[in-house]
Amino acid sequence: MKLKRICLIPIIILLVFGNGSQALANSNVPYQTYNYDYWNEAYYTPAAYIPDGNISGTDLGSTNMVNPQDMFVAEDGRVYIADTGNNRILVLSSEMKLEKVIEGFDNNGTPDTFKAPSGLCVTEDNELYITDTDHFRVVALKEDGSLLKIIQNPTSEVLPEDFQFAPLKVTVDYADRVYVIAKNMFQGIMAFDENSSFTGFSGTIKVTISNYEKLWRRLSTKAQRQRQVQFIPTEFTGVDMAPDGFIYATNVDAKGLQSVRRLNPKGQDVIQKSTLENRQQKLSGDVYFIMGPEYSGPSRIVDIVYRDNGIYSVLDMTRGRIFTYDHEGNILYIFGGKGSQAGTFKNPVAIEEKDGQIMVLDSYRGEIMTFVATKYGSLINNAVALRYDGDEASAVAVWNEVLKLDSNFELAYDGIGKSLLAAGENKEAMRYFKLGMDRRYYSIAFKRYRDDILKDNLGYVLSAIVLITAALMIRKSVRKRKGKGGREDE
Amino acid sequence: MSKKEKLLYLFYVISHPFDGFYEIRHRSKGSVWLALLLVLLFGLSFSLNRRYAGFVVNLIDPMSVDVRMEMIGVFAAVILFATANWSITCLMEGEGRFKDIITVIGYSMLPMVLTFVPATVLSWFIASDEESIYYILINLSMIFFVLLLLVGIMVIHNFSFGKTLLTLFLTFVALLLIIFVILLLVSLINQVWLFLVSAYTELILRV
Repeated sequence: MKLKRICLIPIIILLVFGNGSQALANSNVPYQTYNYDYWNEAYYTPAAYIPDGNISGTDLGSTNMVNPQDMFVAEDGRVYIADTGNNRILVLSSEMKLEKVIEGFDNNGTPDTFKAPSGLCVTEDNELYITDTDHFRVVALKEDGSLLKIIQNPTSEVLPEDFQFAPLKVTVDYADRVYVIAKNMFQGIMAFDENSSFTGFSGTIKVTISNYEKLWRRLSTKAQRQRQVQFIPTEFTGVDMAPDGFIYATNVDAKGLQSVRRLNPKGQDVIQKSTLENRQQKLSGDVYFIMGPEYSGPSRIVDIVYRDNGIYSVLDMTRGRIFTYDHEGNILYIFGGKGSQAGTFKNPVAIEEKDGQIMVLDSYRGEIMTFVATKYGSLINNAVALRYDGDEASAVAVWNEVLKLDSNFELAYDGIGKSLLAAGENKEAMRYFKLGMDRRYYSIAFKRYRDDILKDNLGYVLSAIVLITAALMIRKSVRKRKGKGGREDE
Repeated sequence: MSKKEKLLYLFYVISHPFDGFYEIRHRSKGSVWLALLLVLLFGLSFSLNRRYAGFVVNLIDPMSVDVRMEMIGVFAAVILFATANWSITCLMEGEGRFKDIITVIGYSMLPMVLTFVPATVLSWFIASDEESIYYILINLSMIFFVLLLLVGIMVIHNFSFGKTLLTLFLTFVALLLIIFVILLLVSLINQVWLFLVSAYTELILRV
C-alpha cells in the first residue's frame, strides 16, 4: 500500500510538470510578449518563441564578425552570412559548423575580392548571389566557388544618367530572375532577367500626399518649395522569395501603415491585410507607438522571412521585435526586444527560419540569435497551417489547446466558429464568432440560425395569421349584420 | 393644460412644428420639465443603443460606454448650446426666452427618443446585409431632430431662415468662447487653490 503511494508521487509530478521536451509557455523571457486584440489594445500573451542561445564568429572557430548585414538559409540547410565589415562570406553547414569562408573569387583569371557585401541569396542549385555593394555589382558564384556571372552597370532609359548601382539586398526566383534592392533607388525593386540585363522595376510604391500637404505646397513660394522635404517613395529594406515565386518585401513606412508587400510576377502588391474594422488595414508591426526620444516611432521593418503555410515574420529594428502574420494579415504573435541581456538585440538586421527555429542576425553584436517555439507558438503555427490548407475541422482541437494557454486569442475562436458553422451548429458558431469578433461570419451563422427558427415555427405563424384574419372577417360580418339590424330597427 | 394634454402636445409639435413651436412661445403650451425629461430619456436611449445594439452593427467597444458620463455629456451639451444660443439671440433681437430654447431642444429630441430603443431591438434580428434598415432608422431620426431644432429656433425667435443659420453659426462661436472661459476659470481657481494649500502647508511646518 505504502509502496504504491510512493510510486504515485513521481507519476503525479510527471503529469503536472512534465510537459515533454517542449519549452513551457510561461518561461521567463527577457522581452515582453503581447498581441493586439480586436480593439487594438495590447494584451500580454505567453511567449511564442524563447531564446535558445547565440553563435558568434569565434564560436564558429573564426574571427569575430564585423557589422554583418545579411543571412540566408539555403534549401539544403546551409547558412550563409554576409560578414560585411570583414568583406567575406561565411558558409555554415546545416549543423551550424563553419564549412568555408569565401573571401574572393576567380574573376576570369584574375583574383577578385568583395567590398562590403551586404546581401546574399542562394538558389535551389546552390548558386550564391552576393551584392558586392561597394564594388557596385552583384556577383553570382557556382557551388564550387567559380564565377557564374556578374551584374553591374544596368542601362535603361528609365534609369538616370548618373545612376550609381549600389545593390544592398538580392533575391532570385525559380526562373533565375534576379531582384535587387539598390541604394537610393526609390522606384522599386530592380528586376534583371537571366542574361543579367535590367528589365524594369517591381513593386513601385506610390507616393501619397495628403490634402493638407497639397494645400501647404500650393501656398508656399517657389523658393520655399525648393527647400521643403521632397515627396519620395519609401525605400525597400529586405526581400525574401516564397516558393511560389511571389516576392515578400519590406519597406520603411514613416506613418506605420504598411511595411510588408507581397509582389506578384507583374510587380503588383497583392498582400492581404487584416479586414478588421478597427485595424485600418495596418500591416506594419506595432499598431500603436509613442513619439519620443528612445524606442519610439513606428516600427522600422528591416527584413522578412517567408515561412511555410502563408506565415511570414518581419523584423522591427526600432524596438527589436519580431511580428508574425498569417496569409490574411492577422498578427499571430509578437516577441523579441532590445537590450543587453542574452536573447535581446542591439541592432537586428536579418531574420531567417531554419528547422522551425527563428534566427536573427545582430550586426552590432556580430551574432546569430536563435529562438525556439514554445508549446504556445508551435500550437499556433500548427493551427494556422491547418487553416491555410482549409482543414478547419482538424484545426479545432489545436485551437482549443491554444485557448487554454491564451483565452484572448481571437483567431482561435474564429477558427472554431468556422468549423461549427460547417457542422451546422449555428447557435454555437454565433457564440464563437462573437468572441472572435468576426462580423461577416457571425452574420452568416445568424442568418442560418434565424432561417432554422423560422422554418420550425412557420406552421404556427401561418396558422396564427389564418386564424386572426378569419376572426377579423367574422367580426366584421357580425358587425355588418348588427348594423343592418340596427338600421332595420329604425 | 393638464398633464395629459401637455404629453400629447409633444406629438402635435413634431407633426406640426411651425404651429407647435409658435404656441410654445406665445401660449405657454410647452413644459421645461418635460423637455428636460426628454433630454434625460435621450441620454439613456443613446447609451442603451451604444451598449446593446446588435453585434453586427455595433462597432463600439463596450468597455468605453459609461452611461453616467454620457448622460452628463448630453446635459452639458444641451445647457451649453442653450446658453450660447440665448446669449447670441438676445443681442440679435430674438424673441425666445431661455426656457423656450430648452423646450425646443428637448422637444426636438422626441424622434430620437422614440426610435433609438426600437432600432436597438431591431438590430438584434438583422444580419450584415440588412443593416441599412437600422441605419436608415437611426439617421432619419437624427435628420428629423436637426430639422425640428432648426424650425424651433426659427419660430421661437421669430427669425428668417437665413438669420437662423447665421445665429446658429454665431452660437457655435459663442459655444467655443464659453468653453474657453470655463477652462480658463478652472485653471485659475486651481492655481488659487494650490496657492492656498501650499501657504497652509508652509504655515503648518513653520509654526
